[in-house]
Amino acid sequence: MTTTTENASTDSGAGGKEPAISVRNLWKIFGPTPNAIVGTPFADLSRPELLKETGCVAAVRDISFDVADGEVFVVMGLSGSGKSTLVRCLTRLIEPTTGQVLIEGEDILGASASRLRQLRRTKFSMVFQHFGLLPHRSIIDNIAYSLEVNGVKKDKRHARANEVIELVGLTGYANHYPEQLSGGMQQRVGLARALAVNPEVMFLDEPFSALDPLIRRDMQNEIVRLHHDLNTTMVFITHDLAEAMRIGDRIAIMRDGAMVQIGTPTELVLNPADDYVADFTNDIPKSHVLCVQDIARPLGDRSVSTTQAIESDVIVRSVMHRIMSDPDPINVVKNGQVIGVVGREELTTVFAEDINKELTA
Amino acid sequence: MKAWVDEHVPEFFRRKWVLIVGLLIAWFVLGRIFRGVHTLDLPNAEDTPTTAFLGDMAANIRAARAENPVFVYVFNPFRQGIESFIEVIRLTISEPASGAVIPLIGWFGVLALIGFIVFATSNWRTSLLSMVLILGCGILGMWTYSMDTLALTLGAVILSLAIALPIGIWAGLNDKVMTAVRPILDLAQITPTLVYLAPLALVFLIGVAAATIATMIYSIPIGIRITAHAIRSLHNGPIEAAESMGSTRWQKLTKVQLPMAKRTIILGVNQTTLAALSFVVIAALIGAPGLGEPIVRALSIRSIGDGVTAGLAVVLLAIMLDRATTAAVVKSNQIPLTGQPLLRRRIGLIVAGIATIVAILLSRQQLWAAVFPDALNFNEAIGGGADSFTEWFTSTFYFFTTTFNETFTVYILNPIEYLLADSPWYLTVIMISVIAAIIGGRGVALLSAVLLLLIVWIGLWNDTMITLTQVLMATVIVMVIGVALGVAAGRSEKVERVLKPFLDAGQTLPAFVYLVPVLALFGPTRFAAIVCGVFYAAPVVVRIVADGVRGVPKEMVEAAIASGSSTTQVVTKVQLPASKKSLLLGANQGLIFVLAVVIIGALVGAGGLGYLVLQGASKPELQGKGLAAGLAIVLLGIVMDRIAHSSAKRS
Repeated sequence: MTTTTENASTDSGAGGKEPAISVRNLWKIFGPTPNAIVGTPFADLSRPELLKETGCVAAVRDISFDVADGEVFVVMGLSGSGKSTLVRCLTRLIEPTTGQVLIEGEDILGASASRLRQLRRTKFSMVFQHFGLLPHRSIIDNIAYSLEVNGVKKDKRHARANEVIELVGLTGYANHYPEQLSGGMQQRVGLARALAVNPEVMFLDEPFSALDPLIRRDMQNEIVRLHHDLNTTMVFITHDLAEAMRIGDRIAIMRDGAMVQIGTPTELVLNPADDYVADFTNDIPKSHVLCVQDIARPLGDRSVSTTQAIESDVIVRSVMHRIMSDPDPINVVKNGQVIGVVGREELTTVFAEDINKELTA
Repeated sequence: MKAWVDEHVPEFFRRKWVLIVGLLIAWFVLGRIFRGVHTLDLPNAEDTPTTAFLGDMAANIRAARAENPVFVYVFNPFRQGIESFIEVIRLTISEPASGAVIPLIGWFGVLALIGFIVFATSNWRTSLLSMVLILGCGILGMWTYSMDTLALTLGAVILSLAIALPIGIWAGLNDKVMTAVRPILDLAQITPTLVYLAPLALVFLIGVAAATIATMIYSIPIGIRITAHAIRSLHNGPIEAAESMGSTRWQKLTKVQLPMAKRTIILGVNQTTLAALSFVVIAALIGAPGLGEPIVRALSIRSIGDGVTAGLAVVLLAIMLDRATTAAVVKSNQIPLTGQPLLRRRIGLIVAGIATIVAILLSRQQLWAAVFPDALNFNEAIGGGADSFTEWFTSTFYFFTTTFNETFTVYILNPIEYLLADSPWYLTVIMISVIAAIIGGRGVALLSAVLLLLIVWIGLWNDTMITLTQVLMATVIVMVIGVALGVAAGRSEKVERVLKPFLDAGQTLPAFVYLVPVLALFGPTRFAAIVCGVFYAAPVVVRIVADGVRGVPKEMVEAAIASGSSTTQVVTKVQLPASKKSLLLGANQGLIFVLAVVIIGALVGAGGLGYLVLQGASKPELQGKGLAAGLAIVLLGIVMDRIAHSSAKRS
């Protein structure tokens, strides 16, 4: 996954193409009078005030964003921030109160019940935190479920299911039952089930939160690999910033139902929109997210002094050894042009900040 | 008012239990002074306007059966439909068709058929056990009675499930349906079984149809409740996932919800079956054929031997039905067989099927396989043994069976009965309402007062109070036993393991079978009815209390031990207060269970409302009073349930 600062605008995905998902002014209000909030002064109240005044809770509050084709878009926030509600609103597992959701240009909120079912059977799929496997069905029948409800014949759907079983590394488990598998393997089934329909968009709702840390790391790598191979658009929900950084092209941070900031991992670390985001990103060592160009000293009026060069979009951490072992600054190159230099001095500044953070934490 | 009380009355006198004890003392003193005044005691042959009205109504219904269109076009065809459905089953296994000597299948064939059905739905071990248990019914000399009971039970279960499953599923899926059926389910749960019998017999005549319908009324709510619960308690995860994959509602129900709920639904079948069995036995009171007949006869002529053999046969049937349905639950929970084991099971099923067909054919041709052989019938030996054992026991343990009984009656039961039944009625109504107010609040107090006044208006006040005395006594004893054993079982797995078979048995056996041994030991007394109530209700209460104690968070108990509590302190200061909700729920359930049995206890001399109901069922001129007594029982049940319920809610 590349980390660039090119697409710094917070509202549109990469490139000029039509976005895969486009969300505008989406609201979800739970409570006795969900339709009497949006567009009234109530909409500006804070969460506790709104609850007190109207008895309603705005779980999703005026959210807009675009996801580019093939992008991994991470939504992160603490529990209760509305991220799970948001992802369910996108596929109408929860009916949004108002707003617009376009997936591949199609108006999802306006879709009829049967059209929506058709979309769910063929175009998008979802992975759940607690897997949501059907305990009474074998692995292969779990994976083939969407195809089955879509009327695909048994040998055909089993053939497809076997393909994805292989894809997620579950070969040999087709006739097992969910309870016979470990948590990590169950979630591989969850993944396989979501992949079975060859979806254009995948929604993953905290898919690895219920797994223990080592398995979680494995599964994150699995997602990175699958995304690399299949290039499926993904909306990935998590409460774990490290996971978000590892997987996401862009990260959206939610708080109390509203979007606080959308940006690349680097942007969030370098320019947090407010203290809330800063609090989150504080724990991330800068050397892990910054690119060489972010810390490079501009060339100024000096001329190029060495022949050593580093590409500008390399993460600092991955080249620190090389920089430290060279007594002279090294050139930072972008598109074949030297745009600056980086040396021990710049590196020490970054590390000093990281170490300081560690000590005060 | 409240502010004034808070300021001027010492804290001690504002405690609930102090208030209640104070009230009881006042009640006792006033009751002594006004003893025998305005007790509304009603002689047996006398009617009140209400009972007379109900008696007239009953007479009108009897007269209308032949020509009233509602009867001719609705009730009577309905009755005949049910009768002929049950008759089909009876002609197959229990009752010879006219002119024939044996039913369609003789005993040997029935035995094999039961074995095969159980094998097909569970495993060969349970199948073998079921055959042994059924054989036991024959050995007890109760083959035909047992088959009648089995036929009626199966018929009632099939009809009950045909109604309960769809409604239960619907109520599980739809909140509005649940809200609509819940009050009916609640009422069915607190209404003692005996109450249905008379009105149903009035409409559907004494016999198979009324018995089956009564059984269905009893078991359908249980089936609905468990089925709805099965659907409602499913994890949302898989259902949401199925939705996210584009299932239609029907696909979601048939491919996800029902398969996942299957296990609990089969558990519902188990409970429905056991409920039906216990009711079919009691339904002998309105002419149901089967094991209830010899039991009722034995109770009325105090012939212990006959009652014991029939009672044991009921026990064997209950165990058989329970084991078979439980094994089906376990099997439904297992991962389906594949490969070699699957092949072996298929071959086993084919072999067993052929053997069953052979056995059925034999039972239609060979005499030994058709009629249960005398050589295997040990009825007289077992019955005689029971008789002489009873004689030996009652004479040897005279102290226990007679002295204890009399002491309890004179020093505990009678004083309480004086208090409730021999005080002026308005004193009792006021006292109960005030206590209800203290325990459960103003709303319940008002409801209690209104319902108690209704009982006064019906005119069976005195009998109601006699019944209430026994119910309260039995409930107190049940709670003492239930809390003691429940705490022990909740704290120690060893105790729990020892108790488990007894609790299982206690919850499986129909209440009716307790009556026989209790009658043998204590004779026809109020004490006997109380003992029955205690036996019947204790297992439920023990279980609820044990669950409550076990549910107290471990850290809480550890913290108490870590701060130096003794075992007694852990129990009284942590485990019991923390499981208060379970204790109150246990008391509530205990009351309801006790009420159901104390009413039946009229068969062993308990008097009160149950006696009136029984009399009404057998003597037309007393039918009005019987129906009124049934009404009073329902009202009393609601009062007790609401008081217990509100106190549980308040805590």
